Amino acid sequence: MILLKTILIGGFVLLLIRFVLSPNSYQIRAWKKIIGALFVALAILAILLPNQLNRVAHFFGVGRGADLLLYLLSLAFIFALINQYLNEKQEQKRFVRLARKVALLEAEQHNKRHKKT
Amino acid sequence: MHKDTYVIIPVYNEGPVIASVIRDVFKKFSNVICVNDGSSDNSLSEIRRAGAIAVNHPINLGQGASIQTGIEYSLQDPGARHFITFDADGQHRTQDAEAMLKHLKKQSLDIVLGSRFLGSAQNIPQLKKILLKAAIRFSNLSTGVHLTDAHNGLRAFNRHVAENLNITMPDMAHSSEIIHRIAECNFMYEEIPVTTLYTEYSKAKGQPLLNSVNIMFDELLQKVSKK
Repeated sequence: MILLKTILIGGFVLLLIRFVLSPNSYQIRAWKKIIGALFVALAILAILLPNQLNRVAHFFGVGRGADLLLYLLSLAFIFALINQYLNEKQEQKRFVRLARKVALLEAEQHNKRHKKT
Repeated sequence: MHKDTYVIIPVYNEGPVIASVIRDVFKKFSNVICVNDGSSDNSLSEIRRAGAIAVNHPINLGQGASIQTGIEYSLQDPGARHFITFDADGQHRTQDAEAMLKHLKKQSLDIVLGSRFLGSAQNIPQLKKILLKAAIRFSNLSTGVHLTDAHNGLRAFNRHVAENLNITMPDMAHSSEIIHRIAECNFMYEEIPVTTLYTEYSKAKGQPLLNSVNIMFDELLQKVSKK
């Protein structure tokens, strides 16, 4: 079980690094959707077959199905947070460029007006 | 009076002092660009009253963004050969800026940085000193560029640097970004001592210490996401 847990944690860390490195590559964007879909499917299954969830949890060495769900949920939450942070930074860069362009154009106009007068 | 040199001053809510800072810089330099970073006070009218060129950010973007805007504005003049960044709160001295410019030209360096710790920093608060020392150790280790002061607003550089600096960190993390760029582009750099005047005004306006946590975080994230 320890081995399995190590592999799982290692896998998630690798995924996280890959995700931070190139948040907008097409692979990452595709994987986000696949994982999202899997997550929904799993949630539906968990509602329909609560006992099966317990068995899956036992298989991974986690106490109850509810615990497994909590772990997955926290993972999803952390990914969503990082995702949002990275998007925000990207967005910020875009509007800094835009605002700078406006400032430069305005300064140019101001100078022209003052040269004329 | 250094016709080929542009002094770039990022300004954010410095209404009470900016006009006197500009007048002081005008004693030695004729091209003064103030980037008003969406100030909510009378900074913009004070800049124009003092006779400097004003470039006006429509919204507040941060000091790094202001410096980059000032650089891009100055670069429009093909005759611009040297650039100086200068803080708006009156903590730098114009004669230090001129000394740095002379050093830059004489040694034909790419960039000259001011250091408070080589020179005499006046009234530097103790806690700030400890933090700045820690910051420089972190910076020296992570970039291999050896400096004694990582976050000094006084810098002089040539056109080659101005064209390649391309500051993307909008806020205070830009100081470290500049150091990273020095390492990446192999700019010829040197530090010279400057005097930093910690007046009551600049102390009240200065960076809150806790903000260094934000700066660190942005720097680390920038480092992993760039490679």
